[in-house]
Amino acid sequence: MHTEATPAQADVSELDLVKQCQAGDPEAFDQLVGRYRTRVFGMIYNMVHNEQDAWDLAQDSFLKAWKSIGRFRGQSSFYTWIYRIVTNVTIDWLRKKQVKGSGAEFDDAIQLKDIDPASRTVPKADALPHERMERREIRARIDEAIAQLSPEHRAVILMKETEDMQYHEIAEALGCSIGTVMSRLFYARKKLQNLLRDLYENV
Amino acid sequence: MKTFEEKWTAWLDDELKGEELAEFEASLPDKAAAEAEKREAHKLGAFLKEQLQGRAMGNEEFFHHQLRERIAADARTASAPENTGAKPVLWPIGRLVWVGATSLAIFCVCTFFVMREKSPTDQSQYLTQILNARVDPAFSPNATISMFETKEDKVTVLWVEGLQSLPSEYATK
Repeated sequence: MHTEATPAQADVSELDLVKQCQAGDPEAFDQLVGRYRTRVFGMIYNMVHNEQDAWDLAQDSFLKAWKSIGRFRGQSSFYTWIYRIVTNVTIDWLRKKQVKGSGAEFDDAIQLKDIDPASRTVPKADALPHERMERREIRARIDEAIAQLSPEHRAVILMKETEDMQYHEIAEALGCSIGTVMSRLFYARKKLQNLLRDLYENV
Repeated sequence: MKTFEEKWTAWLDDELKGEELAEFEASLPDKAAAEAEKREAHKLGAFLKEQLQGRAMGNEEFFHHQLRERIAADARTASAPENTGAKPVLWPIGRLVWVGATSLAIFCVCTFFVMREKSPTDQSQYLTQILNARVDPAFSPNATISMFETKEDKVTVLWVEGLQSLPSEYATK
């Protein structure tokens, strides 16, 4: 069973795991995947709003990471490095697909929660039906608002607000300057404030 | 030099310090409104964090299994050229030999036909002598010579007009 590691555990042996991966050990890479898969999947899901696409893109990202791990020199954290791959893969995919949010594609988010009984996305047993419905509606509104941002703006706001990444980490992950990150944050926040004000003021 | 957007973002995230912070706050036309917007931005951040975090994937074991399979498949693909490493070397050599042999055969066939076509017929020694005589204006300046030849029968007819004299060698034969 693969479980997410605590930050402390990650600090202790992450570099060792990377070195083992560079020596061609797939088991070590499996452990690294176990540490980051949830965050990677969550990040991608919040950008593409589709569970199956998020799954496929997470697979592609980790496969790409495995292929290029020999070039990882440890100048940044592995976390930042993997996020760079993730954002590149996801932004490329979004650009190709040219998703311009209508929210229509997000229906699966609701259905999949009901399908997979083992998933942590299953609503809590104590949640009342009207609460679940409200949660879905809120989520759909958020997805719809995020879908109106460009892929780069999505990545910046999600890394900042949900991943608590620093400006320089986001800049590194996206391969742009800190100033660009701050500028994108400014516009992304303004846009989301306009679209979601009634929600976050009242919920 | 930071743009207004950059300074505003840094201010919202409490990243502006010291003199830069004082300068920026002094430049705000309505600090109360700016503070209200800052609070709103913090609310948005907290709201997004609360709503968007915790999206876990189902079937984690299968995710790992699928990824391991793809890595193994990728390794097989990467090693495939090594298994057939001799092919890229041998293939051009074999092709070169084949092309060489074919070219030689075509050359031999062409040469055979050309040589057969161009093989000299048995010519009379007199023809040469008469032709030599013709080109000598001292003997016969106005002579014309026509030649008719049938290869199958090995017969050559020489039609000479205006010949004033014959070379002595010819006359003796």
